[in-house]
Amino acid sequence: MSVAVKPVHAPLAKVSAIFRRDAIVALSYPGNFALSWISIIVEVTVAWYIASLIHPSTKFSSSGHVEHYFQFIAINFAFVRFQTAALASFAEAIRDGQLTGTLEVVLATPTTLPVLVLSSGVWSFALTAMQTGVYLLVAVAYGLDLSHVDLLTALVFVALSVAAMSPLGVLAASLAMVIKKTGPVEWASYSSASLFAGVYVPLKTLPWALQAIGWCLPITHSLNGLRAATEGVGLGAVAGDAVWLLVAAIVLMPLSLWIFVRAVNKARVDGTLAMY
Amino acid sequence: MLTVEHVDKSFPAVHGFGAMFRGISGHRIPRTQVLFDVNLRVERGELVGLLGPNGAGKSTLLKLLATLTTPDRGRMTIDGVDVAAEPLEAKRRLALCTSDERSFYFRLTARQNLEFFGALAGLAGKPLRERIADCIERVDLTSHLDRRVGGFSSGMRVRLTVARALLGDPSVLFFDEPTRAVDPVHAEDIRSLIRRDLVERAGKTVIVATNLLEEAWEICDRVAVVNHGRIVALGPPRELDRDLNAVARYRVTLAEVDDDLIARTRTIPGVRDLRVVRSEKGVDLDVELEPQPGALGALMRAVSWHGADLRDFRAVDPEAIDIFRKVTSDEADERRG
Repeated sequence: MSVAVKPVHAPLAKVSAIFRRDAIVALSYPGNFALSWISIIVEVTVAWYIASLIHPSTKFSSSGHVEHYFQFIAINFAFVRFQTAALASFAEAIRDGQLTGTLEVVLATPTTLPVLVLSSGVWSFALTAMQTGVYLLVAVAYGLDLSHVDLLTALVFVALSVAAMSPLGVLAASLAMVIKKTGPVEWASYSSASLFAGVYVPLKTLPWALQAIGWCLPITHSLNGLRAATEGVGLGAVAGDAVWLLVAAIVLMPLSLWIFVRAVNKARVDGTLAMY
Repeated sequence: MLTVEHVDKSFPAVHGFGAMFRGISGHRIPRTQVLFDVNLRVERGELVGLLGPNGAGKSTLLKLLATLTTPDRGRMTIDGVDVAAEPLEAKRRLALCTSDERSFYFRLTARQNLEFFGALAGLAGKPLRERIADCIERVDLTSHLDRRVGGFSSGMRVRLTVARALLGDPSVLFFDEPTRAVDPVHAEDIRSLIRRDLVERAGKTVIVATNLLEEAWEICDRVAVVNHGRIVALGPPRELDRDLNAVARYRVTLAEVDDDLIARTRTIPGVRDLRVVRSEKGVDLDVELEPQPGALGALMRAVSWHGADLRDFRAVDPEAIDIFRKVTSDEADERRG
């Protein structure tokens, strides 16, 4: 060949390539992309109307003071997007690869499975972060009070949330590798967030069994921390939630990657990598 | 160099709920054997063809070598690296040119696709850009580089798979039906690229899976005929012609042919087929002779009987199709057991 090459296998370059691919694909559907932003206004409006039905004296605050339901639900809706992104993006990346026939070719490249699967969520998380910011700005226009935000606590909890939820996404991708569908994952994401994690109502108002399930979900601890951050509560007050997320990330990340590798190997043995 | 030693491969015969229930209930999931004790050794700089009918196991063998599936038994190495034990190291040495034209991101341009796969192959920046320009030129798609792949024809996508395979400059390349759906001119270009540029000039080791006989015979140093999951013949095309005792074909041209001559010719020991075709020169007798001692002499005597007006007599080279039919026939399978 006329141009000699010496490949350098830097993981970050591969992460960047996957991010760029996902961004180009997403932006190639301008209508869909624009609607995903416009829908934010609709979501905030719906939240505001629902909140207006709740008596203003009802307490929804983590810190104990009276807080309007809109404050509670807007923060939850804004940040539950991270769980949705985590559970959907990794699994969809696998599913899309099966459908488009690209999965086998990608797996034939000298790229490790952890890099491949974890990179497939980077664009989705970046987009979610931007859309969450816009959601909060729109919500501020409707009366959301962010004047007391503890930025450090908020940033720490966003980072911990991504770290703790990504393994769930990797597990969802493992499932997609085996069952070839992402529907059950999406259902699990929606139901767990809406019912068990206290997105619509405070967790303490649920029966103890549901509270126990909710306690086991990263999203519950993420929302606890993020709501506290918007009320100006310092990191120390929600350290328990932060530690929970940290431990979950440390335990679940290697476990989920191990399971993903096992799922890919099973598909290799069965010859079903490209099946859909 | 590449080796395949005693490789068996089977796939589950049932999927979905059937497999799940069998697995849960402790029943064995039935499997379909697709490769049986396959052995192959390809030297550095050698071009070997895998030739066989659809479903013979050619693509499975390539996928095994490309780490996309795993063998039930056996060992494979690429440049001394065990494919199963060190898949990442093996993948740094190989590229698979799949025949699946869907294997691109259709919303991305050809350049963006190649940039993506180039990055996964370990390239970046200027070297990647130069490499893309070089590889895309080799498949004559330079003018389409900034078009979305979704708008490409099937043949263009197949040519793009070839460009993609070249990106990382691997030492071993696997081509799975590289000229499928490609027009004759570009198919010839791809064959020339594989034979001359990759093998003869760059010294790459190449395996081409194809069901095109002429392609295998034209470009390959050796051809492995694959049938029902087994390599049933292996060798240079010329040796395959000879070793497999292909029938000899002769064309005898006479001014006229009568029924008596045809009947006498048919009775010659070793004549397997006889066709009579009228031509500009007269009448052609196309005779297929099995390689038996004295058969050719008997044919000569038969056609010159009673001073027949013999206008031409020549041997016709056996065609690859004869060899292919012979080694992939059911009788051949039975003989192999």
